[in-house]
Amino acid sequence: MVVELADPILQSILLGSSYTLMAIGLTLTYAITRVPNFAHAEFITVGGYTAASFANSFGGLLAFGGGAYAAVVTGSFVVAFLVAAVIALATDELVFKPLFRRGATPLHLLVASIGVGLVIRYILSIVVASYDVLVLRSRITKETLFAMAGAPFTNLHAWAIPTTIAIAIGLHMLFTRTRLGKGTRAMASNFDLARVAGIRTTQVRRFTWFLAGGLAGLGGAFWSVNVPMTPETGWGILLWLFAASILGGFVSYWGTIAGGFVVGFAENLGISVLHDAFGVSFSYRPMIALVIIVLVFLLRPRGITGLTMPDLGGMMRKWLARVRAAFGRG
Amino acid sequence: MPVDLSFLLPFLGTIFGIFFILAVSFNIEYGYAGQPNLGKVFFYSVGGYAAATLTTRALWALAGSPADIPFLEDAGGVVRFAVARANPAVIVGLFLASLVLAGLVGAAFGWLTSYPALRLRGDFLAISLIAVGEVSRVFVLNYEPIAGGVFGLSGVPNPFSWLPPRVVDAVYAVVVLGIAFGLYVFAIRLTNSPFGRLLKSLRDDELASGVYGKNTPKVKARALMIGSGMAGVAGALYVFYVQTAYAADFIPIVSFTAVTMVILGGVANHKGTLVGAAFMTLLDLVTRPVFPTLFDIYWRPPFDLNYVRYLAIGVIIIVVLMFRPKGLLPERPVETSAVRVARRRVRETARADPSGSPGTTLK
Repeated sequence: MVVELADPILQSILLGSSYTLMAIGLTLTYAITRVPNFAHAEFITVGGYTAASFANSFGGLLAFGGGAYAAVVTGSFVVAFLVAAVIALATDELVFKPLFRRGATPLHLLVASIGVGLVIRYILSIVVASYDVLVLRSRITKETLFAMAGAPFTNLHAWAIPTTIAIAIGLHMLFTRTRLGKGTRAMASNFDLARVAGIRTTQVRRFTWFLAGGLAGLGGAFWSVNVPMTPETGWGILLWLFAASILGGFVSYWGTIAGGFVVGFAENLGISVLHDAFGVSFSYRPMIALVIIVLVFLLRPRGITGLTMPDLGGMMRKWLARVRAAFGRG
Repeated sequence: MPVDLSFLLPFLGTIFGIFFILAVSFNIEYGYAGQPNLGKVFFYSVGGYAAATLTTRALWALAGSPADIPFLEDAGGVVRFAVARANPAVIVGLFLASLVLAGLVGAAFGWLTSYPALRLRGDFLAISLIAVGEVSRVFVLNYEPIAGGVFGLSGVPNPFSWLPPRVVDAVYAVVVLGIAFGLYVFAIRLTNSPFGRLLKSLRDDELASGVYGKNTPKVKARALMIGSGMAGVAGALYVFYVQTAYAADFIPIVSFTAVTMVILGGVANHKGTLVGAAFMTLLDLVTRPVFPTLFDIYWRPPFDLNYVRYLAIGVIIIVVLMFRPKGLLPERPVETSAVRVARRRVRETARADPSGSPGTTLK
């Protein structure tokens, strides 16, 4: 049995970087403002539509290649980042911040975020349906640059992977070296203490939401190159983002990055292996995300951060003991 | 043009009844027991699949399992409809059996849900259950044996299809409303009983409830079983109404509609849920393409009118949470029979002695 690995691995890396980009925002808003944000899906969708419409408006320039092409591509990504960031900031200012001030629990914020998500998604749906672009295909397309071990290495790989690495390192520097970044971390670990210590929590909050929305929008922009956008695109991705974020512990920055790649590989490579080895249909992909979410919640709510080999051994022993007890009783 | 309500009223009544059951069940789980089951649509769909499977298989067996007709395609549905029309007693019996089965299957899955519910905090449980609802839809859509996959399991006859076509929908609407009313009364009695107060104690302070010797895991599991069983019944009623069990119908917005009914009307207040459900049904009516035609308006917007309804649901959720977090009708103290007796006595005393001492008033 031969399992083709080069293509799934390349795809997994691409998917992993996209998930990482998008999931960082989900983790940040939960860690710092306690919103399990279901509206995050909509920031992705908005970013994707923005990038695609920008690219299509200047689509004529794409044909010139070279500098014009680069300008349109860069422009579409930047615009997607900004639009999604501003929308995210607005939702926080209008909904989540007032609710938080009134002492809403994470559960209330979750329900509110579902409401916010519905509002954004269906305003977007009404707009795009009115312009008759319910399904929007970007004119920036995926093109193979060269073959890597028989698998296509595309322009999207060349954009998304370095961008994700750069952003991951940049944010790491920001969180560890700057006042704002340190304030962000302080606020994530203890809101009241951070406030007492003189950190401008409102400013940190705004920065967090702007960044979270922007990164989601950028992820959506990359996504729009890969597949056509629909108003449901973001919602379809959200499950994977929750899986990535939760796998990383839901509040950990590096955990989320690791989670994003693990989920990307689990989705793509995992299903390929399952398909080739056991004949599992590709349509069951989402089951993997669900299994990750539920298992992590039940077995190790802290996620994979700080997991050591002895921990793994301990967990295995505990479960074996439980299984043995169950059979012994029966 | 005369307004034709003979189609619209049964439709509204049925939709109202089904969603009302769903909302009442969510209210028991979330409002009283504090378990945010945002994956309601999963239990609803499970009930629907159970009902559809039982009914279609039984009718198929009665038709002699014709080998030359495909079970899942339209022709198979036609055969089942014919059998149902010819045997009123059989289809009504199957309908009742399906409701019971849907309730039991829903309750069984509710019991399974109590495993994560005992271990997860509110928001984590909600995320997991939303994920369960989403993934189960994708799974059933691709896994044919449960509900015909992408074909859907069609040919689930309306249990009254043997009546004259004009009255079928109306009769069905009355039956649905009757079941909804029965479950509503059941929910009121349940939550006013000692068990209902136990649920509230669990919601407000699980630790304290445990300290007083209550078996909190068992109570949680029971609340989820009751709520999910009711959701299963609602799912069965839905499947018999649309006459198809189709996985793609069970989208998350179904759960969110029920949630909106509860938080709009008032959490832990059954009358509030009634108000919320009535309001949302009206919203449903005005956002149907048929509604403007009642007023001779034939203009169609360039987008799907459903978008307006979903948008409105989002707006309602946000506005209620921000400006009236307790809903239109806030939660009220429990109405036990002791309270009722005490209130009556106070009234009687006041009547006998109008001057009355202020100490005997009872709110």
